[in-house]
Amino acid sequence: MTDQTVNPAPEPSPEPAAKPAKRTTAAIALAALLAAIFITPVVVDDQFVYHIFITICIFAGLSTAWNIVGGFAGQLSLGHAIFYGIGAYAGIMLTNMGISPWIGMFAGAGVAAVVAVIISYPCFRLHGPFFALSTIALLEVFRVLALHFRDFTGGATGMMIPLNIGWEWMVFRERLPALIIAFGMMCFILAVAWWIRSHRLGFQLVATRERESAARAAGVGTVKVRLIAVAISAALTAMMGTFHGMYLTFIEPESAFSLAFSIQIAMFALIGGLGSVFGPLLGAVFLVPITEFARGALGAEAIGLHGFVYGAVLVMVVIFIPNGLMGLIGRIFVPRGTGTKQADEVAAPEVARTFTPPEPGEEIVRVKNLNKHFGGLHVTNDVSFTLREGEILGLIGPNGAGKTTLFNMISGFLDADSGTVEIKGPDGKWNSPTNPADFARLGVGRTFQIVQPFAAMTVEENIMVGAFHRYPSVDDARAAARRTAEKMGLAPFLNAEASSLTIGGLKRLEVARVMAMEPRVLLLDEVMAGINQADVRRAIDLMLSIRDEGVSIIAIEHVMQAVMSLSDHVIVLSSGEVIAEGKPKAVVEDPQVIEAYLGKEFTHA
Amino acid sequence: MDVFLQVVVNGLLLGGLFAITSVGLTLIFGIVKVVNFAHGEFLMIGMYATFLITTRLGMHPYAAVAAVVPLLFVLGMMTQKFLIEPLMSARNHDIQIFATVGLSTALINLALLLFGADIATTPAYGLRTAVEVGPVRMLVGQIVMFGVAAALVIGLHLFLQRTQAGRGIRAVAQNRAAAQLMGINVSRVYMITFGLGAACVGLAATLVAPLYPTSPGIGTYFVLTAFVVVVLGGLGSIGGAFLGAMIIGLIDSLAGFYIGSDMREVAVFGVFLLILILRPQGLFGGRQTLSHVS
Repeated sequence: MTDQTVNPAPEPSPEPAAKPAKRTTAAIALAALLAAIFITPVVVDDQFVYHIFITICIFAGLSTAWNIVGGFAGQLSLGHAIFYGIGAYAGIMLTNMGISPWIGMFAGAGVAAVVAVIISYPCFRLHGPFFALSTIALLEVFRVLALHFRDFTGGATGMMIPLNIGWEWMVFRERLPALIIAFGMMCFILAVAWWIRSHRLGFQLVATRERESAARAAGVGTVKVRLIAVAISAALTAMMGTFHGMYLTFIEPESAFSLAFSIQIAMFALIGGLGSVFGPLLGAVFLVPITEFARGALGAEAIGLHGFVYGAVLVMVVIFIPNGLMGLIGRIFVPRGTGTKQADEVAAPEVARTFTPPEPGEEIVRVKNLNKHFGGLHVTNDVSFTLREGEILGLIGPNGAGKTTLFNMISGFLDADSGTVEIKGPDGKWNSPTNPADFARLGVGRTFQIVQPFAAMTVEENIMVGAFHRYPSVDDARAAARRTAEKMGLAPFLNAEASSLTIGGLKRLEVARVMAMEPRVLLLDEVMAGINQADVRRAIDLMLSIRDEGVSIIAIEHVMQAVMSLSDHVIVLSSGEVIAEGKPKAVVEDPQVIEAYLGKEFTHA
Repeated sequence: MDVFLQVVVNGLLLGGLFAITSVGLTLIFGIVKVVNFAHGEFLMIGMYATFLITTRLGMHPYAAVAAVVPLLFVLGMMTQKFLIEPLMSARNHDIQIFATVGLSTALINLALLLFGADIATTPAYGLRTAVEVGPVRMLVGQIVMFGVAAALVIGLHLFLQRTQAGRGIRAVAQNRAAAQLMGINVSRVYMITFGLGAACVGLAATLVAPLYPTSPGIGTYFVLTAFVVVVLGGLGSIGGAFLGAMIIGLIDSLAGFYIGSDMREVAVFGVFLLILILRPQGLFGGRQTLSHVS
C-alpha cells in the first residue's frame, strides 16, 4: 500500500540520531531548571527569596498533580482545592492529636483519593464546562460544610498548629528544611506524572480525552482509567496540601476550599502547557515570582493588582499561546516539517505470525432476534445471523437501513431492546458481553464510519492505544504498532500527527488501530467510503490478507465492487429487517434487494 | 401557616432575582455555546455603574437602565469579538472556559483596585420599603424585579420565535455552517447574542443594585446560583430558566428557613449536582431549548 491519497511524505530527517539528541537536550534543560530552583534560594539566602521558591515548588507540585486529571484526562477540574483542603485539614487535625504530619500526609492522601473517586464517578459522565461546573459546586459544598461543622473543623475561625519545631512536625525556624521538603515533594509528583504519561495509563488517558468512543472500542476502560487518574491526582494534591498547611501553620475554610485557589492551580498548568508533563512546572516558575513580587511590592497600596495580573495573563495566554509555554518552546525549537518521518529503522518483521487458518464453518458470532426501537422507529426488527470463523460477511442495505445501529449493538455501544449477541471466546465457550470493554476482551474490534483518530497523538501512538490491549508494556506495544503500521502502509507516517493524514490515511489508521488489538472478529463500518478506486483495490487485498490470518470479518459497505469480490456471504438489511441473505451473486439478483436499492420500477428492468 | 406562606413568597421573589440574572447566561449558552464564567462580573460591573450613576448624578437607579444596558451590550459584543471569536476555531474547546475564567478573575480584581474591598450601597429610593399583602410582606423592589423578569422572559421568547432576527439567531444555534450558507452573518449574530445576553445582565444589575450591597465579589455569589438555574432549566431554554429560577428560589428559601441559613448553599448545590448527574439536559430541556446541546 503506497499512498496516492496521502500527502507526499516529507523529506527524510537528516540524521536518525536527531530524536535522542533532542531528548538529551531536554533532559539537561530540565535538570538545570530543577537545580536552579533548589540552589538559587540557598545561595541568595534571603527570607523572601526562600519564600518565593518554596511557593514555586508547592504550586508546581499542585499543578502537576492537577494536570494528571485536567491535562492528560482532559477533565477540567476547578475543584482541586477540595483535595488540597482535605490534605491540609488532615495534617493539622492529626498534628493537634499528637500525630506527625508525615503520617497525616498519607491519611489525607487516602481520604482525598476515596473522596475523589466517589465524587468523580458520577461527574465523569459530564464533559467540558459541565464537569468544571460540577466541581465548582462540589467545592462550594465542601467549603460550606467545613464552615458549618465547626466542632470538627474549627469553623470560620480556622485551626492553628501547635508550634512543635522539628523535622518530625514539619515546622521549622529556618527556611531551608521547608525548601527541601517542598522541592522533594515537587520532584516526586513530577516523577509520578512523567511515569504515567510514558506508560500505558497515560496513553489510555489521552486517548480517552481525545475520543472516548474510539478509546472504548480499543478496549480502554475509560471510566476506570480516569478514576485511577483522579485518585492519584487527589492523593498527590492532598499531600502537598498537608505540607502547605504546616508551612502556613494556620488554615481556615475560606482559603483551604477556595475557588480562586483552584483556578490558580489549573491556570499554572494551562499557561505552562496543558497535558505536557513539565508544562505546569514551567508555568509556576514563570508566574509565581511575578505575582509574589506584585503582592510583596504593591500589595499594600494596590489590593487586587496581582489578581488582575493573573486574570489578564490567563486571557492573553489563552488567546496568543493556547498550547502554553511548552507549546511555544516546541514551536521555536522544532521547525515545522521535520520530525514527522522516521520510517528508517522499522525493518518490516514480516514473519512472526504463522497462522493455521481455523476450520472454516465454526460459528464465532451468533446474533439472535435483535430488536431496537428509537422512539416510534423500529430500527432493528428481529435480526438474526451468524458469522463463521474465517468468513467475510458483507452487510449491505440502503442508507437508514439500520446497519450502523446493528454494529453498535454487536460491539456493546448500544443495548438491544431484546435479543442476544453471543461471541465464542478463545476457549471455545460462548459469552454474552454487554459493554465495549467486554467485547474487546473477547477479541471483537470495530472501526467507526466517521473516522475517530486521537487527533493530538501521532500515528504510532494511535496504533499503540490498540496494541496496549494485548501488550501492557510500552516497548512491546510500540513494536506491535510498528508491525501493524508496516502492514497498513502507514510506516512513513509513524511520527506524523494523526490530524495531518488525509481521509484515505485516516481510514487506514482506523483499521490499523483495531488490527493492533489482534482481534478475532473485525467489524468494519464503511472503510471504503470516500476513498479512490486504487485505494479500494488495496483495501480489498488488505481485507483478504487479514481474513487469511484467521480473522473473521463483518463489513458494512456501499462499494458494490468490493462487496461482490470480498464477501463469502451477504446480508441485506432494509428498514431494520433482513430482506435477503446468501451468496453475493444470488443476493444481487434478488428482486426484493433491487427494489430496496433502486425502487419498484427497476425490479422488472 | 402564615410563616410558611411568607417563606414561599420569599422563595418566588428570590426566584425573580435568579431568573433575571440567569436569562442572559442561558441565552449566550444556547446560541454561542459558551459557558460564560464572567457572567457574574458583568452583573458586578452593571451594579457598580448603577451605584455611580445614582450617587454621582443623583438619579433613580431605574433611570440608570438607559446607560447601563447599552454599556453592557457593548461590553458583551466586545467580549465575543475579542475573546471568544478568536477561540471558536481552537481545537480544544475547553480553552474557552479558561478565557472566561481569566476574564472573571481580571474583572473582580480590577474592581478591587478601583473600588476597594468595601461594599458600596446604592440609594434605595424607597425600593426597600415593605408592602403588606394580607399576611405577607414584600419589598417594592422585589415585586418590580419579578415583574420585569417575567416580562423579559416573554419578550425574549417572542423575539426569538417571531422576528426575522430571532429566526436567524435560532438557525445559527442549530447549525452554524448551514446558517452561514443561507447568508446569515454568523459572526455578527454571535456578537449580537452575546451583547443581548450581557444587556439582560445590565437590566438585572439596575434592579439588583438598590436591594443588595455591591462588592467586587458579588458576581461570584450570583453566578453560581445562575449556573444552577440554567442547568436546571435546560441549557439554552429561556422559559426553562424562569421555571428553574422559581424552583431554586423556593429551595433556597425553604432550606434557609427549615434547615439553617448557612446550609442553603448545600441544598441548592446538592440539587444542582443531582440534576447534572441524573438529568443533564435539565428538567425542562428537550424540545423547547434553543439548540441540541447535551
